[in-house]
Amino acid sequence: MLELKDVKLSYGSTQVLNGVNLSVKRGDVVSIIGPSGTGKTTLLKCINYLAKPSSGTIAFDQIRMDYQRADKTAVQAIRLRTAMVFQQFNVFKNMTVLQNVMDPLVVVQRKSTDEAQEIALRELERVGLTPKRDSYPSQLSGGQLQRTGIARALAVRPDVILFDEPTSSLDPELVGEVLKVIKDVTSSGITSLLVTHEMQFAKNISNRIVFMDRGVVAADGSPADIFDAPSSPRLAQFLQSELAFQ
Amino acid sequence: MDVSAMIPELLSALPLTLAITFTALISGFCLALIATTLRVRRVPLISHLVDLYVSYARSVPVVLQLFVAFYGLPLLVILFGAKDFISATMAAMVGLSLYHGGYLSEVMRPAYLAVDRGQHDAADSLGYTFRQKISRVVGPQAVHFALPGYGNSIIYLIHNVALVMYIGAADVMATAHLIMERDYNQFQFETYLVLAVIYSLMCLVAWLIVRFFELRSPMQAPEATTTTPIKNELLASV
Ligand SMILES: Nc1ncnc2c1ncn2[C@@H]1O[C@H](COP(=O)(O)OP(=O)(O)O)[C@@H](O)[C@H]1O
Ligand SMILES: [Mg+2]
Repeated sequence: MLELKDVKLSYGSTQVLNGVNLSVKRGDVVSIIGPSGTGKTTLLKCINYLAKPSSGTIAFDQIRMDYQRADKTAVQAIRLRTAMVFQQFNVFKNMTVLQNVMDPLVVVQRKSTDEAQEIALRELERVGLTPKRDSYPSQLSGGQLQRTGIARALAVRPDVILFDEPTSSLDPELVGEVLKVIKDVTSSGITSLLVTHEMQFAKNISNRIVFMDRGVVAADGSPADIFDAPSSPRLAQFLQSELAFQ
Repeated sequence: MDVSAMIPELLSALPLTLAITFTALISGFCLALIATTLRVRRVPLISHLVDLYVSYARSVPVVLQLFVAFYGLPLLVILFGAKDFISATMAAMVGLSLYHGGYLSEVMRPAYLAVDRGQHDAADSLGYTFRQKISRVVGPQAVHFALPGYGNSIIYLIHNVALVMYIGAADVMATAHLIMERDYNQFQFETYLVLAVIYSLMCLVAWLIVRFFELRSPMQAPEATTTTPIKNELLASV
């Protein structure tokens, strides 16, 4: 359903993506792993065009776009069918938890306030934030902020959900509550891309693992392929250092 | 002739003073909005011209800016083939609007830039249009950052209105000088004292209004909680 071909992107003179190819099937749960600074975040952002590649193509079901001729309609169509969960949460700071989840439904999807509220409350229930519905972001813990971010992403009913290191900014004791919610989300059958350093978690929830290294997809396979029989010395070395760290 | 007689006389100049102030406040605000938009969107050439305007408004002494408006505007009007109809009051209004607009733009721009990049990303990723993003997310947060600076810029404007007497506009300051000259300067100190009270009251009202909006801001909550320990520290240090 989602296919990226030969995506290249550079910031100034540094080439960040060197021709990434990635294809994702409906219902896939793909974890993207790799060293810091290899362009994992950037790759996710290419999908919803928060990052603007210099070349390459994206196909999202019947939506097709050449990055050299990016057009607003295609970008908007893709954005309406994807949702992103950010490393830094990026919950709207001027809105309560409930407003955060409702706002895209009212403003972008033009749903009535009643309908939006009904959907939002259901998603907040799902991530366990009903008691915090009227709190402002400044009054929440990192775990609660991230669960707000996840509820906001789920509420728009995306076809694909993009998680960018959703637990990397959290205090260790808060990681668990967020991983539990993510596991619940990914097991519900929604197509998911998850950038993460939680190796064990990735192994458990994914049906595919993509190893990114130096701006390209360096390995791509089932969790068993990647974790039990690493295909390259760099992958083996990366896994070793990650597992040692955990 | 007793002291209190000059109070109503002074106050009679208040409407004009307030008219100048409010005109500058409102048109300065609009100018600042336009200038800020052009500056953050980096339109080639135009953005540079706007930068130039802002640095003029911020670096040239306000008295000078008033003289420039007073002598420059008639030339401009004549250049466009009209008869010179510019009064001192109008020149004061235009001069102060330009000053306030430029000054305020340098409050608004940092406030806009202070909004976390991630807030833009989140709104964009959800399909907000630029306008929706500004009106729902970035704007309200920028207002929060801008309010303290905005309060200051209003107070500076009120102070600078006192300079319009140099180009002959009849505000409270100019009227005070007229009264003093006429009365052989017998109540100079008292007159200045009354003026000080008038300016203080104007600033107080402006400050209260801005403060009201600051307290209403939903983003106020973090400051409200985080400043408590600092307050205690201050108390402890006394
Ligand atoms: N907005 C940006 N401007 C300049 N350089 C950037 C920007 N975003 C990311 N980079 C650089 O691109 C590289 C890849 O970043 P990123 O995609 O965040 O990596 P990862 O998520 O794999 O850690 C890094 O070297 C980073 O410094
Ligand atoms: Mg990253």
